[in-house]
Amino acid sequence: MKLKYRVIPKGAADGAMPLDWVFIDEKDIKKAALTNFEAVKVIANEYKNSYAAVDIVDLDAVSVTSDGIMNPIAVTAIASVDHGMVNKTYGYMPISETPEYEGIFEDEPHMRQWHLDQFKGKPLFRGPNAKDRGTERAGHNENMTLTGRIANNNCGSEAFNMVEMTEALVFMSAANELMRDGEVTVCVAGPEVSVGIGMVVSERWGRIFGSANLGGYKAGMSAHNSGEYAKTVKSDYPAFAAPKEKFMKLMLDALDTGLIVGRHLGPSPALMCTAHAYGTPIDIDHISDRAWIELESVGISKEEMSKPVAKPYTREEMIAHAEEIIPGMKNAKRYKASEVVDIKEVEVDPTTIA
Amino acid sequence: MRCMHTKLPDFLAKMQAAAKRIRPETKIVIKGLENVDTAKVASLRCGRIEEEIYEVTQDPDITEVELRIVPFNPEVIYSTIAKGYDASGKCKIAILDDLAADIPTVEYYLTDAEVIDDRRSAGHKQTQL
Repeated sequence: MKLKYRVIPKGAADGAMPLDWVFIDEKDIKKAALTNFEAVKVIANEYKNSYAAVDIVDLDAVSVTSDGIMNPIAVTAIASVDHGMVNKTYGYMPISETPEYEGIFEDEPHMRQWHLDQFKGKPLFRGPNAKDRGTERAGHNENMTLTGRIANNNCGSEAFNMVEMTEALVFMSAANELMRDGEVTVCVAGPEVSVGIGMVVSERWGRIFGSANLGGYKAGMSAHNSGEYAKTVKSDYPAFAAPKEKFMKLMLDALDTGLIVGRHLGPSPALMCTAHAYGTPIDIDHISDRAWIELESVGISKEEMSKPVAKPYTREEMIAHAEEIIPGMKNAKRYKASEVVDIKEVEVDPTTIA
Repeated sequence: MRCMHTKLPDFLAKMQAAAKRIRPETKIVIKGLENVDTAKVASLRCGRIEEEIYEVTQDPDITEVELRIVPFNPEVIYSTIAKGYDASGKCKIAILDDLAADIPTVEYYLTDAEVIDDRRSAGHKQTQL
């Protein structure tokens, strides 16, 4: 039996990628008659003399970005492998399905996107539940796996090498493109992305925040909460994103359901500029003063955002002008998935995963 | 006895002595507690680690022992204290916050080992493939 997987190898994207990052489609794990954890052990064996972050993804499920946009892909387990080893306590973490609970659409208004035709009925995976996190992870521990020098954080969207102290970001939209043979754009994250990552929504069992209770950070607040310094916290790391016209469509779908940026969706620079150009409301007063400091630091002014545009773009115009409307990741280089990902197959040796 | 705790300087001295018990010329390097000024170390574990260092030196080929002390939880949480002093040395303000530092887990230090003997508590044993 063989297991198929994809890897963004160290050095990919013209040298931008600092570490190996493996992605496995859950369907391929099932085809190989393995469990997700066994698949991680197979990958660990592939890395007997090296190391990698591992994401297991479900292409028939949905998940949510930190600012509240639903995506047609979900991470269902993350892992870190180093020289054939997986740390027993911290090296692997399953991410269970988040069930629809009573009141979810009131408590988490951004989840109304789940009613959209392209997402309806699909299972939702965001962050781990208490059992997934295990008994040894303390409350302060992020949704992260660690083995040796490799950490895989925030449910599989950022990975570090803690010895070389390098890091990369692969946004959910980019993972979706890489798994479906699409295209990605790659460059250093820059200040707008750095600020955007902190503009989160409140969720139970979220990818980054929230547990049985809704997290403390609500839409309109900044989880970075670091004033003008927020634009630097992730700005220097290579980031893999979907081409802007691709995630523009997802943002427009969310706005078309009536969701309001700053009240229901996080006020990330991308969502702020998209809502403004599209003429959909932004809850200016619900965005905290601390969040405004961060937005103003990357040129998104309260004054400008408070003034409606004279002639909002149509949906088609928004997509056509996505590159100029969505701030950040300027001069990113576009790659076909096949240019940055190696598709591999490994023969599964049952004796090594017992 | 189980509940007794050893002074940190005594712990460090005991490790040194254990490494040199068979051959006084054996070198020992202890890494991981450099920034800890004062501490009490669980005596039970102190004795076990002394015994393990002594055991490591039973092999006549061993000329150096490294005792690497790594936090078990690799997402180490610290409290930070940003203090501001005036010219007279008076501390006028202290702002507390949290700082998490993600550090390599034990596996990073095991990649060159020929034999790995994991004697930690059962729940803490590493998975080695």
